[in-house]
Amino acid sequence: MVPQLSWYLALSAILFTIGVAGVVIKRNVIAMFMCIELMLNAVNLTFVAFSSFFHDVTGQLFVFIVMTVAAAEAAVGLGIIIAIFRNRESLDVDDASILKL
Amino acid sequence: MDWATILDIALKFVAITIAFTVVLLIVAYTVLAERRVLAFIQGRLGPNRVGYGGMLQPFADLLKFILKEDIVPDKSTRFIYFLAPVIATMAALMTMIVYPFGPETRIPLINVTLPLSIARFDVALLYVLGVTSVGVYGIMLAGWSSNNKYSLMGGLRSSAQMISYELALGLSLIGVVLLAGTLDLQKIVEMQSGWHGFKWFVFFQPLGFIIYIIAAIAETNRVPFDLPEAETELVAGFHTEYSAMKFALFFLAEYINMFTVSMLAATLFWGGWNVPFIDLVFARGSFMFGFLSILGFLFKVCVFLFAYIWIRGTLPRFRFDQLMNFGWKFLLPVALLNIFLTATILTFFDVI
Amino acid sequence: MLVLLFILFAGLAIGCAIAVVAQRNPLYCAISLIGVFISLACLYVMLAAPFIAAVQVIVYAGAIMVLVVFVIMLLNVEQEERRRSRLGFLVPVAVVLAAILIAEATFIIWFVDRSPVRTLSNVSDTGLTSSIGSALLTKYLLPFEITSILLLMAIVGAMTLARRIKEIPPGAAVVPGAQVLPLHMFDPTIALDDTRAVEAHGSDEVAEVLGVPDDHDPTKRD
Repeated sequence: MVPQLSWYLALSAILFTIGVAGVVIKRNVIAMFMCIELMLNAVNLTFVAFSSFFHDVTGQLFVFIVMTVAAAEAAVGLGIIIAIFRNRESLDVDDASILKL
Repeated sequence: MDWATILDIALKFVAITIAFTVVLLIVAYTVLAERRVLAFIQGRLGPNRVGYGGMLQPFADLLKFILKEDIVPDKSTRFIYFLAPVIATMAALMTMIVYPFGPETRIPLINVTLPLSIARFDVALLYVLGVTSVGVYGIMLAGWSSNNKYSLMGGLRSSAQMISYELALGLSLIGVVLLAGTLDLQKIVEMQSGWHGFKWFVFFQPLGFIIYIIAAIAETNRVPFDLPEAETELVAGFHTEYSAMKFALFFLAEYINMFTVSMLAATLFWGGWNVPFIDLVFARGSFMFGFLSILGFLFKVCVFLFAYIWIRGTLPRFRFDQLMNFGWKFLLPVALLNIFLTATILTFFDVI
Repeated sequence: MLVLLFILFAGLAIGCAIAVVAQRNPLYCAISLIGVFISLACLYVMLAAPFIAAVQVIVYAGAIMVLVVFVIMLLNVEQEERRRSRLGFLVPVAVVLAAILIAEATFIIWFVDRSPVRTLSNVSDTGLTSSIGSALLTKYLLPFEITSILLLMAIVGAMTLARRIKEIPPGAAVVPGAQVLPLHMFDPTIALDDTRAVEAHGSDEVAEVLGVPDDHDPTKRD
């Protein structure tokens, strides 16, 4: 008995769901960012599972590009978070409800 | 689960135990060697009372660490405080499994031919880089969880330094990968055999080797890059609030890191287990060949450890902004230049 | 044997993911997320993709999360307090939606197992570094080059966002690699809201630049 493709897809769906729930529930900006990374990783798992079961290297290349984009997004996103923190002194998303700094 | 698999797993456990013991013994005696060699450089004698010439000093130190009182600071986050030295030590030890200690040898009693390394996989060099990256967390979490501003400063500075020099380290290894055409450490060592030592990659990649050594010294937080844990600067940096066994784990993790980067230098640049003239005397694959290869490899690693201690006794330390400037503005461009030159020369000679 | 390993790593991944959402201290969230990444890397190894597994550990667990933990430590983020949210009526809706998603996951398992497409075994040549490298540099060269430009944009963007802008007056001597200090620190007679700043190496140099008497005694501790 070997782990089937559907098992990996189900695991990926569950991780993605947990990530979406995290983005909706959490109020801390950094925690929301981490749940977005969790969603990206769930999608990576789907790509790698398909690539492995169908012997196509395209899936793993896509994962490579997704990781690069996630790294770039992390750098810029954390820069934005630091800039918001410098101006508002709080990382609570519910408090950042006015447009004017 | 047939007998072959069970025998395989049992042999792996035996290999892990032997390698672990050897590494821990060498690291324990490196601590002693550091104190003695540093003492000789500084014109004094060092610990020579315990045992003959101080040879039992590591065991005395171990006893001291076990028996010391274990202090936990009052407002620290307890889970992370206990987790940090564990992460540091685990990350330091996990890199050991991919190094080839010797060639394929025939072990006399079992009559089985084994490559003398614990695991062999395709991306061994990337695995080593990845595990070293995870080792940064031990230091950061230690600095944070001690609830002490000197520890936090030391931890943040130390981890900033480590992640900066990790880049230069990784890039300096790409030259070797271009030459060898593979990331597998065993193949890299096998490609350096023959010509009695003149095929070692240090002769083809001198600039890469120098960059690697500088980045490795910075990566392991040693002098001249050890501002974050210098005693005169930040009390003791990130391990200020750690006592007894947890401090011993950090101490051990630092020395095992030193040992790991020395092993990587010996494997990638100095031919690994290749000893220059022994294949004229012993046949390849025989037991004596393997045994002398292991001894040769450990000798090269000990030469690097001696060089580390020598540098510690000789050079003053960098200020932190000088350190970061050097890592980002000088070492990283030189590493990129090294890759560019290597790739150009290889394409020109059409070796790829 | 492989099933046991899959259950172990999948359970670890789901457990750490739930911990990311449920924990209130953001540092514990970050550590749980590192746990998720490492267990996903182990799953990638099981799927015969060792290069992607190593890159996952190096990039995600070793670089991105180090950045996130740095930001958490530098900004000294506290725990979230429990606050009664104004949208509490949405909780039953959330439960219904979660049940729908779990039904979808079950459907996936049921349907893919019975689909006529034959999946091949895991062990193959795709996933080795050489096949990823050759595909990346021949067939997928354009995304590779665009990704490098994207990274350059990210570097420039991050540096622009994190820059502090201070007013340096035209007459001040700027020494590279030194600190920027407000004038008030060295001459208390200057008003506090004077935004002129000076970069200098030591207090004697600052005094020389400003033309104020240097009465900082290096033998006394500050």
